[in-house]
Amino acid sequence: MYDIRPPSVDWSMVTPVVLVFLTGLAGLLIEMFRPKQNNNSIVLTSLGGLAASFFVLYGQLSAEAGETLAGMVLRDRFGILLQMALVGVCFISILFSEGYLREKRIPFGEFYPLAIWSTMGGMLMVASNSLLMIFIGLEVLSISLYVLAGLSRAEQKSEESALKYLLLGSFASAFLLYGIAFVYGASGSVHLSGVVKAWATNHANTQHMLLFGMGMMLVGFGFKSALAPFHQWTPDVYQGAPTNVTGFMAAGSKIAAIGALFRVLSESVELSQAWLPALFWVAILTMVVGNFAALVQKDVKRILGYSSISNAGYILAAILAHVKAPDKIGANTIVFYLFSYAVMTLGVFAVISMNAKDGREGTRLSDLNGLWKRSPLAGGVLIVCLASLIGIPLTGGFFGKFMIFQDLLTADMTPLAIVLAVTSVVSVYYYLGIAHAAWVAEEGATPAESAPMNAGLQVACVTCLVGVFVMGIFGQPVLNMIGGIVR
Amino acid sequence: MDFKLIWLVLGLPVLGFLIQAFFGGRVISRMGAASGRKVMGWLAVLPIAGAFGAAVGITMELAKRAAEDRAVVETLFSWIRIASINVPFEVRIDPLSMTMVLIITGIGALIHLYATGYMAEEKDYSRFFTYMNLFVAFMLVLVLGNNLVLLFIGWEGVGLCSYLLIGFWYKDLANSRAANKAFIVNRIGDWGMTLGMFMIVAMIAGNLGQFQGVEGRYLSYDVVFSSTAIEIFRSNPGITTAIALLLFVGAMGKSAQFPLYIWLPDAMAGPTPVSALIHAATMVTSGVVLLNRCNVIFQLSPVASSVVCVIGAFTALFAALIAFGQTDIKKVLAYSTVSQLGYMFIACGAGAYWAGLFHVTTHAFFKALLFLGSGAVIHAMAHNQDMRNYGNLLKYLKITGWTMVIGWLAISGVAVWTFFGFAGFYSKESILGAAFGNNFASINGVNYGFYSAAVGLLVALLTSLYMTRMTMLTFFGNEERWKLIPAHSHAEHSDHAHHASHAHEHEHDHHGPDVESFFFNEEELALAHAHEDHEHHHELDENHVPHEVPTSMWMPLVILAALSVLGGFVLAQNNVFEYWLYPKGELTILGELEHHPHWHELLVGLSTVAAYGGILIGYLIYRKGLPKSEGWDLSAWNPFRRAAGNQFGYDKSMVDIGVDGGGALANFSWKVLDAKGVDGVVNGLGGISAGIGRAFGAVQSGFVRSYALLMMLGGAGLVGYLVYLLTVAQGGAR
Repeated sequence: MYDIRPPSVDWSMVTPVVLVFLTGLAGLLIEMFRPKQNNNSIVLTSLGGLAASFFVLYGQLSAEAGETLAGMVLRDRFGILLQMALVGVCFISILFSEGYLREKRIPFGEFYPLAIWSTMGGMLMVASNSLLMIFIGLEVLSISLYVLAGLSRAEQKSEESALKYLLLGSFASAFLLYGIAFVYGASGSVHLSGVVKAWATNHANTQHMLLFGMGMMLVGFGFKSALAPFHQWTPDVYQGAPTNVTGFMAAGSKIAAIGALFRVLSESVELSQAWLPALFWVAILTMVVGNFAALVQKDVKRILGYSSISNAGYILAAILAHVKAPDKIGANTIVFYLFSYAVMTLGVFAVISMNAKDGREGTRLSDLNGLWKRSPLAGGVLIVCLASLIGIPLTGGFFGKFMIFQDLLTADMTPLAIVLAVTSVVSVYYYLGIAHAAWVAEEGATPAESAPMNAGLQVACVTCLVGVFVMGIFGQPVLNMIGGIVR
Repeated sequence: MDFKLIWLVLGLPVLGFLIQAFFGGRVISRMGAASGRKVMGWLAVLPIAGAFGAAVGITMELAKRAAEDRAVVETLFSWIRIASINVPFEVRIDPLSMTMVLIITGIGALIHLYATGYMAEEKDYSRFFTYMNLFVAFMLVLVLGNNLVLLFIGWEGVGLCSYLLIGFWYKDLANSRAANKAFIVNRIGDWGMTLGMFMIVAMIAGNLGQFQGVEGRYLSYDVVFSSTAIEIFRSNPGITTAIALLLFVGAMGKSAQFPLYIWLPDAMAGPTPVSALIHAATMVTSGVVLLNRCNVIFQLSPVASSVVCVIGAFTALFAALIAFGQTDIKKVLAYSTVSQLGYMFIACGAGAYWAGLFHVTTHAFFKALLFLGSGAVIHAMAHNQDMRNYGNLLKYLKITGWTMVIGWLAISGVAVWTFFGFAGFYSKESILGAAFGNNFASINGVNYGFYSAAVGLLVALLTSLYMTRMTMLTFFGNEERWKLIPAHSHAEHSDHAHHASHAHEHEHDHHGPDVESFFFNEEELALAHAHEDHEHHHELDENHVPHEVPTSMWMPLVILAALSVLGGFVLAQNNVFEYWLYPKGELTILGELEHHPHWHELLVGLSTVAAYGGILIGYLIYRKGLPKSEGWDLSAWNPFRRAAGNQFGYDKSMVDIGVDGGGALANFSWKVLDAKGVDGVVNGLGGISAGIGRAFGAVQSGFVRSYALLMMLGGAGLVGYLVYLLTVAQGGAR
């Protein structure tokens, strides 16, 4: 009767994602049977699963690019690299989470499956050209994060953070979905390749509709990547969420959102004459708002929230440079910067998470006073990661910013380069403010307390430290590993 | 013998330096002060003496060669390679460098030997010799290096060692100040020196195409002064003059010429062997070496040469006049050195570069002798340096006395017509003869060389006069004036006298940069004063009996005395010294210069009259000892001598302008420019930034509704802008 021929599926392309998914599932199962109050087996299973996925990804690094599952899943070097970054971020976050959660008195086993599934959502986002897949990935990522943000149930600010994130995130998702609907309406496809085809018809109404959809989608992605003016949730949510969640959110969610944004933008280069000038202003606004607003903050996590906004602005600038001159500028700057941003920001959050003790946690600048005395290693990691965030040579942050700067000049976008340089100078103030609090300022009458560093935290810190230096000193080899992703 | 031996010459002092630096203290503390110092003393002298031996061998080997290929370049390793530029670590063995090497290591070895005795009581014995050996090493690099970079390294290295040694007794504030002064004043010279060198490099770099087969050695002398380069210099006379003048600024700093001489008299704060080696025989003659090395540039610029002549002559006269007002024996010698250096520059300006170096050589003999002799006197007189406390010392210090008499005759230029003269006679004669006889140093037909020589002749008279004054006050006369100092009351007395000549410095102490206690805080100052008081324990008084110095100290005196007697005579025979440096007496560009004016005989007569006349007048004035008009009572001094004692107010005005003026300028730039201007801008910017941040913060109300509103407005704006852009684009397309 009907000749149903299911399309051939390359299951290897989805193996890493499936592995991560199963790891989360396994974690949840163990959570049900584990001995009370002991998460060790979950942690170990999670780390093992993530590591396995990481190595599968690494093995596929040089594999041929292609799509499977009717264009739902895409495999290319860019996607694999970002997936590796996501898995790595989750791995490091889990490393320092257990100790933190215990000190914070919220050692719930569900943290691990949720973080892992959130990672899975991110992995789906960065490895697909299908708008539906991207949306589903985004929702998986976000919904897990909504729960994680409210993990510290006893704390009002954690609750507030989760609720704010949920409300505004839903609002943004609505924008995104509405945009996807419009794009589908205009092009008849949820695959990004359809956008270009529809645009090529040169039909004015189609183009208007497409662009309206694009604009709506950009609002959604802008929210997720914390671009101004869709950034306002960031400091509030960062501050309220448990520190390990914030760290995971800052690094992981940023990678995923930027990855998806990059997919959408680079697939619609033909439309760029329309959206490039608009995003140009978004980038400038983001860099300015993020950096200036951070100046007057007193809470470390809030400062890092604004720092996350500024970094989104830098990366957006890098994307714009790539899109403007795709022949000359590869996407490797973006990947490199995301890598270095992930390690340096995770490093800072790992150190900050030390401040939790006996259910209480101080995250104001003054709570960091005397940190270098409490733990020289933590102090050292903090200062190195901050130096990298500032962009001081020998660190990955320097190399990344330098490359963005270079790209901007090559792409003839000097104004963005100038804003990048000037706002980077402004950022020195608040980053040094954190370093000052940890190294110079004296402790008050009652010294802030912090738990001793456990092994997981130490490993996480040292990993970030090494990562920052490796990317700063061996920037070129790392770039070669990333490869010139020129389209 | 192999020219590779030159690395031994260079390496031995470095080795000595390392031994002194790393083992000196340990050896002395382990073996005990006396024998440890003896060992380390020998370990300091031997490398220099060994270097001298090797240098003699190399020089003899060099002399065997034909005059035109007496230039050997030895490369040790490839040092700097950047793009097309190649700066090897290379030395140049030629008559000029080897002459200097012989002076540096020969005189250096003698002075090191002397210093083993002079410094025998010194606590920081090996630190002293560390610096001394290092100095010798750097000085050798300066003269031996075959490129501008090595020259510069040596130039700065000797400056560093000079600084370290002037301030050797750094606990005394005055010494530290003197060291700082030397270092800072030399920065002005270095400013010119480096600019001159950069301009040379720029000239070469601008014409790289003309240099073939030089393997990128664009800074090496054989390239910089090659015939190709000379043509480039010749076709840019203005720039060449600028280069010459800038290089001369460097020479003025290092070789203490007016207006930068002010550091050298203060440099006498260092131990006397340092004064002899660095501030008389070697380092201060670097300027003359530089002019000899770069002579083609000066030959191309009569203007610069005239400037060199005039500055040299003025310095010679000015310093000679100041010497009359000095009562400190070392200060007299210091000004005499400045004056004699002026002489050397008269020679270089007039084109007689060899005569300048000839005077460097003879001056090294007799000035080292005089300094070491004065050191012996100071040693014998309980470290009192005021000549007004001396008198009739020949009775006690036979060897020191007679050798210094020889030094005195040598610097005065005493001669028996032209048959035989002391060392100074020949070099002075050749300088004056060349300067009178040539018209190279002329601007618009005015022969500045001639006038400079005329001044030089007058200075010859003054020189023999003030040197006679020094010798008579120290060694002759019937009164032994230190016996007039009652025991226990002298401290205040001599202190006061000692400080009188420093009055201006001390005055400036109280309103210098220390107003803000920037350099020294009060504790340190108090400590320094305590230390000063401490030092005056062993003082000169009526019970004092001078004793001759030990063998290690008088031996160098005797050798130097012999050189002062014979050196000039031997080197002047058949123009041997001149032809050694400049074969056949020919210069690259100017060719052969006149050695004498046509009234040669009259000149010899005049200089003989100057030498003997000065001595005679001096004898008449000082034969009875210290005249009342130069005694302790400063108010009895005639105005000229008082002014001379104060350097005619020059040093004070320089210090006022430089230090106080600089301080005022710095205060202005701190309190007004920086605190109000820069800080204002910076703080203002910071304030504005914080304001912007607060404004952004105000939007951050914390309410979800307002966040959502902003998101919606932003989204509407974004979409609206996109659609607007598209409409514009489509409108443009149609």
